Amino acid sequence: MPLDLATIQPQIAQMIAQAHTEALADHMNAACELLRTADTAHLRQVLRERGHRDRIPWLVAKPVEEISTTHPAPPLPTAGFTVVASDGSTIAPDRHSPLRFFVLNVGLARLTYGQQPDARLWARGMFCSDAESIYITAEGRRIPVEGARLGLRMASEELQALWEAAREAPADGPVLALRDGSLIFWALQNEEDAVVRHFLPQILDCLERFEGAGIPVASYISYPGAQDVANTLRLLVCGKDPKHCGQCVGASDEERALCRALADIRDQPLFLRHLQPGQRSAVFDSTSTILDRYGEQRVQFFYLHTGEEIARLEAPQWVMQDATMRGLLHAAVADQCRRGRGYPPALMEAHEQAVITTGERRLVEQMVEEALAARGMVYVRSAKDRSKRERGV
Amino acid sequence: MERIGEIVATSSSSLTAVSFTLHQPPALGSVVKVDLEEGRRTVYGVVSFGTTTGLDPGRRVVRRSTEHVHDAAIYVEHPQLQKTLRTEFQALLVGYIGPDGRVHQHLPPQPPPLHFSVCGCDSDEVARFSQRRAYFRLLLDAAVELPPEQLLAAHIRETYAARGDDGEWLAAAAREVAALLKGEYDRLMGLLQAIEPQ
Repeated sequence: MPLDLATIQPQIAQMIAQAHTEALADHMNAACELLRTADTAHLRQVLRERGHRDRIPWLVAKPVEEISTTHPAPPLPTAGFTVVASDGSTIAPDRHSPLRFFVLNVGLARLTYGQQPDARLWARGMFCSDAESIYITAEGRRIPVEGARLGLRMASEELQALWEAAREAPADGPVLALRDGSLIFWALQNEEDAVVRHFLPQILDCLERFEGAGIPVASYISYPGAQDVANTLRLLVCGKDPKHCGQCVGASDEERALCRALADIRDQPLFLRHLQPGQRSAVFDSTSTILDRYGEQRVQFFYLHTGEEIARLEAPQWVMQDATMRGLLHAAVADQCRRGRGYPPALMEAHEQAVITTGERRLVEQMVEEALAARGMVYVRSAKDRSKRERGV
Repeated sequence: MERIGEIVATSSSSLTAVSFTLHQPPALGSVVKVDLEEGRRTVYGVVSFGTTTGLDPGRRVVRRSTEHVHDAAIYVEHPQLQKTLRTEFQALLVGYIGPDGRVHQHLPPQPPPLHFSVCGCDSDEVARFSQRRAYFRLLLDAAVELPPEQLLAAHIRETYAARGDDGEWLAAAAREVAALLKGEYDRLMGLLQAIEPQ
């Protein structure tokens, strides 16, 4: 056993001890109180002034409603409704293989509730080896589609398939389209402009089609790691200008300690205390830089207490600002979580459809190998890969 | 006759089929058939087992009921269950009709092909196949997941009903069983009790 577990064990104990101190519990209580009592008008003013003068050093969320507001789930449509969901899985390009290709599999689920319950579960696979798929061309250079860029291609395909599934859903009763993950494609922020210009229009076109058809589309993040709201609360701790946060001048020790604690607090435990099961938080505007390029499709979010945990729901602003669509999103997702014991069954079934098993991965490789062999070519993988597979002693 | 399932596993002695209707495999002991070569040949089987499980063996079946939602209402509350569960049944192969039109009561020369349809049999067909009872031994000797004499008893009950409560046939079947189980008093008595008309 090459991993020395004896060394790791005390370090795990140390991590647990640090994570559960009384001081941290006090700070969590203080953060909750800050959220409960925050003056939204004042906060908006602070955000406006500081947003104009200089960049706030953290990713903050702008409350669209009173920041501390909570809403119970509205009633579900009486005549029934449909939830369409998509998820994706990939076989990434393998640099140890002589051929460059990747495989995308979009899993889809369409669940109809009401007088005539129905379900359709299916998947759509794509084998991509053509130059336009595996590279993005920018000024004569070829940028390989892999890593985060493959994730963006997958997201684009998931949204496209979700749109087609939602469009074909039975016309009786409203339809909600859900995607697993985020609609804020922040990974684009780290990509060069050619990559953004390649992917973003596809994604935004798709969101526009949903808007044109009046079908609310949203994404669901289970146990989110975001800190946007906790970061926003930091602006209210000391009243000092955040551009001087590096020096932290003028704040009291208590303020300083709470501000530092907020830097480690995620929105999720904060709202687990703030919301009751089924309730949603205020709607927030995300300030992710990439959203500046979303135009009319700018994404907003709220948190939802699913009964088991806090989930983050993200949707274009036209969904969040329309009471009927926002209500359907809230009611249908709360209902999904109730049916699915804390997680939407539509997303779970879409995931099950999307999964590419280890056996299927091997089968794809074998099919490529056989296709090469049929033309008298041998599939030679890298020596490193062969060595890893053989694991000779 | 109505198609009731599709063969997903096949061998010289039995077939396994996915039922087209969830929770409704054909009755235990009933006669089913597979038509081959556009009906020129027909293989007969006796349903020997039924089961409903998750489609994906890697997924556990979890509790779904609540205080207010239970039994059939669970399937309204969770429509995806219709697509994530499946009902399968097994049938022991007990005979066939060849192009000559004769009923053969022994194992067919080839297993029925995978993905072919399994159909139910109407009462005339059951009456025709069960006129002789040489295939009873195949049922008694089969390695099945329930006591073979209980399987045979279920088949005799189903056939008796399909033949319009044919008492003469039932008496002949009982004599056949008595001959097959001579020297095995307990098994015989268990079977005879199980086929006694109510």
